[in-house]
Amino acid sequence: MRWAVLVALTLLIALCAMPEQKQVAEQKRDKVVIGVLAPMSLPEGTAQEKAVKLAVEEINAKGGILGYKVEVVVGDDKLDPSVGVAEFKRLATLQKADVIIGGFSSGVMLATMEAMAETKTLFLADASSPSHSAKVAENYEKYKYWFRIAQNNATTFAFDIADMIKMLRNNGYEVKKIYVIRDEHIWAEDVMKTLRPLLLDLGVEIIKDVQVPRNYAEYESLILEAEKLNAHLIVPILALTGTGDVLVKQWASLRPKILLAGHDLAAIDHGFFNKTNGAANYVIFLADGGALVTAPITELCKEFVEKYKAKYGHYPEAHQAYGAYDAVYIYKRVVEEASKNGEKDPFNAETLVKYLERFNESNPIILTRPIAFTPNHDLVWSDKTIRNWISQWQDGKQVILYPEHVANGKLKLPPWMS
Amino acid sequence: MKAIIPLAFLLAILPMFVPSAYLYLIGLALLFAVLVASWDLMVGYTGQVNLGHTTFVGLGAYTAAILQLPARIGAAFDVHPIVAVILAGVLSAFFGLAIGLLTLRLKGYYFSLVTAILPLVFMQKVFVWRGVFGGEEGFSIPSEKILVATTLEKYYVAAIFAIISLGVIYAILRSKIGLRFKAVRDSEELAEALGIDTTKYKILAFVLSSFFAGVAGAIFVNYRMTVAPDLYDVPLMLLIILSAVIGGLGTLWGPFLMGIIVYLAKNWWLTAFRFGIVNEEIILYAILIAVAILMPRGVYNEVKEKLRRFAKS
Amino acid sequence: MIELLEIFVFGTAMGGIFALLASGFSLIFGVSRILNFAHGVCFSISAYLVIYFIKEFSVDIFSASILGIFFAVLVGFFVYALTKYIRHNVVMVIIVTLAFALLVEQFLLLSFGNRGLTMPPFVEGIQVIYENLRIAKVRLLAIAIAIATLLALEFFISRTIIGKRINAVSQDIEAAKLLGINVEKVLIATFLISSALAGIAGILYAQIFNIYPAMILRVLIYAFAVVILGGLGSFRGSVVASFIIGYIFVATMKTLGAQWSEFVMLITIVAILAVRPTGLFGVKE
Repeated sequence: MRWAVLVALTLLIALCAMPEQKQVAEQKRDKVVIGVLAPMSLPEGTAQEKAVKLAVEEINAKGGILGYKVEVVVGDDKLDPSVGVAEFKRLATLQKADVIIGGFSSGVMLATMEAMAETKTLFLADASSPSHSAKVAENYEKYKYWFRIAQNNATTFAFDIADMIKMLRNNGYEVKKIYVIRDEHIWAEDVMKTLRPLLLDLGVEIIKDVQVPRNYAEYESLILEAEKLNAHLIVPILALTGTGDVLVKQWASLRPKILLAGHDLAAIDHGFFNKTNGAANYVIFLADGGALVTAPITELCKEFVEKYKAKYGHYPEAHQAYGAYDAVYIYKRVVEEASKNGEKDPFNAETLVKYLERFNESNPIILTRPIAFTPNHDLVWSDKTIRNWISQWQDGKQVILYPEHVANGKLKLPPWMS
Repeated sequence: MKAIIPLAFLLAILPMFVPSAYLYLIGLALLFAVLVASWDLMVGYTGQVNLGHTTFVGLGAYTAAILQLPARIGAAFDVHPIVAVILAGVLSAFFGLAIGLLTLRLKGYYFSLVTAILPLVFMQKVFVWRGVFGGEEGFSIPSEKILVATTLEKYYVAAIFAIISLGVIYAILRSKIGLRFKAVRDSEELAEALGIDTTKYKILAFVLSSFFAGVAGAIFVNYRMTVAPDLYDVPLMLLIILSAVIGGLGTLWGPFLMGIIVYLAKNWWLTAFRFGIVNEEIILYAILIAVAILMPRGVYNEVKEKLRRFAKS
Repeated sequence: MIELLEIFVFGTAMGGIFALLASGFSLIFGVSRILNFAHGVCFSISAYLVIYFIKEFSVDIFSASILGIFFAVLVGFFVYALTKYIRHNVVMVIIVTLAFALLVEQFLLLSFGNRGLTMPPFVEGIQVIYENLRIAKVRLLAIAIAIATLLALEFFISRTIIGKRINAVSQDIEAAKLLGINVEKVLIATFLISSALAGIAGILYAQIFNIYPAMILRVLIYAFAVVILGGLGSFRGSVVASFIIGYIFVATMKTLGAQWSEFVMLITIVAILAVRPTGLFGVKE
């Protein structure tokens, strides 16, 4: 009996592995393979898959990359580090992906970066923890294949929040005491570490710093407390908690004389206004990833959101779509440049790392956003490249308030506060 | 027991046929199978339904991770990864002892309910002391502090561990101790009448089972190089229970092999079936419900029975 | 003072919802010795369906709620049917109900996504309780609905024939059979009532907070905590325990912070268990 099971099991494993073995044998290039690896149960995952497919469709219609047809292969990391690693390896070795685009969870990213180092595959990634680029800094040779493309390193939110307070003050809204509500998570801690000295310089006091776990939804008592402590601003630093909409709803129904301004990831979503039945009105947020549907900052971005809507029936469901779309085009661009410069193998990851690094602060590439990499392969945070634009919901529309050169609206205070 | 030798042989030559991406998964499946077998040691052989096996998996995982990266607690000592892995098992066993002493003297459902909430208590610890345990994203261990580096070596570590664990558990169950476990399961009153200290043997089984879970958790960490709270979590627990029950409780081989099959099915074979509102997990759970209702004694036992009848006729 | 009042109101709302959820779980256990891991399905499915009916068919919130509770009852009946022939096997019951719960969780994940959803409340607006303490009216309504339902249930169990039979079966199934009680019918009734209670709890919860797929298993933790504290199978025990846990939960959240609330709740329960293994009102098995 055990024998029978053992033999059957071995046969099954061998059978499943065999057909793919043949592909491994083929060595000559006949196509370019782009892998997408993200959590497909989340909008942050599906948006990346859709955006990559859109870009690849466009590229194939114009003759592909160096004449090769581009193919997309998809993996689902299920937000699980073990699965993420296995899927990365599958895409990189069995599907022979030339580049992998994707990611979302910082924890999964830490694990998949190991698979990336082992397979030496170019990885144009999402996820915002500073620990990823720190790895590139620590061991450049091993982790150099990794580039952050979707959004700035999370610590930059601190600079944006400081600028947000300055912007409010310039508009005559006094901010001296703030009430922070943040994710109970490492990334929010990193933001706070950078934010504290900045606030000290501005003379702003943190009267309370509340940490909330995933799916926390009891904001009413926090808002009441902020009111009692005479806070001028409730500053959310919320992404993983996933209940930014509940906070906004409870804030709008309690109507405290306190502005809600900070980084509430949920507010970036184009459908957020309808989802909250208009409670989002006057909420000030950071446009993470540097692009908004109603305030595109480049021509390509404007085209992209419309093409996306035409193909899928709705605007990008998560900002990661911009990063993934850019990733395909930046890959095409570096391969073509490598080929033009006579590189022996223009698809070689080692070679392409050098070409990607050419897009630095003084030489950004303008795609849906202006992209430039730091020496540690983070995105350069600046007014000229990508930063988390300070924005506000105004009557169903997302409006950028700051910095001025991309702003398309002025600050509005809620009626119950004026 | 004889089947362990061909199993070892098969596992030894597998890398010749299977590409490394799948080898990586098969190694994970073997580690997972040890979790299932060690759960069966407690549940299938003493009849006490432990719903908190992942407590010890996670405990072992975090213990090893911190011993291998003591900078996380601000300490500076050097522990060889093998020592870290064994210490992880010992600590898990120790916790198993404490919790066993507290709960196994109670009869009925309380052991199940308490063990069901245990992993959650331990998981909260990860979030509350984020600085040390890394919170939700966990933390990664640099490759120079890890047991072995390449996928092939990792696979062999997992395979050797699986073979040894299976052998040791089998030996325990074949011994006098194993017979007493079964006596406790079949009739606690009778066992007590025979002068067996039932609580003692339940605790012993729990400690042994926790030890293997802890070591497996520690090897998991060395295998994938990151530790994260998913090792404590309910989905892992459920997968363990499902594999063991479908494999056939109290048969050791059934749960072990079913552990490999279920893990590979979930993360490999069934991933192609993903359309609309159906994914591999839905298919898996549906199959498992059907099997549980139609073959409540487990696939292993039912098929064995059928084959025996077939051979007779 | 105002803090105490706030903890009292918020804790009562939380405790009331826990009580609706856990008393059903406890009733099912009492009558059939089934640990129903699929109890959270009734809780979640009703909330999700209400949101779905409102969004897709523009049904008003009250009719949608009735439909939602109806579907929760259907799910309850389905779980009853699923476990009918394996009821004697504790492990199998856990497996089947747990697998069913996870199956539904995946289904919700694929059809509604991982993000939490909120439901439009029965009543909009804010009620000023005391000075600056304002509370959403829906939370006060939830307290009222929960307490009214629990009182009705208490009346039902102690005064009506079916209720008395439920009580009899949960105390001694063999004696009940001898008295000629149709145990199967009693069991069905218990499943239906318990599922409806969980459905109501789900709707109230989603109106105050939000609902997400992982809630299916998450609410089980609360149900477990309640029945461990209150004693398995004891209806009154679970109600009292629910409120105790509700207050502990809210008070911890308010004083130590949200990340501690579950930790403290779970530690308290383990501690109580070490001292009093059968819970506050439990009977020896």
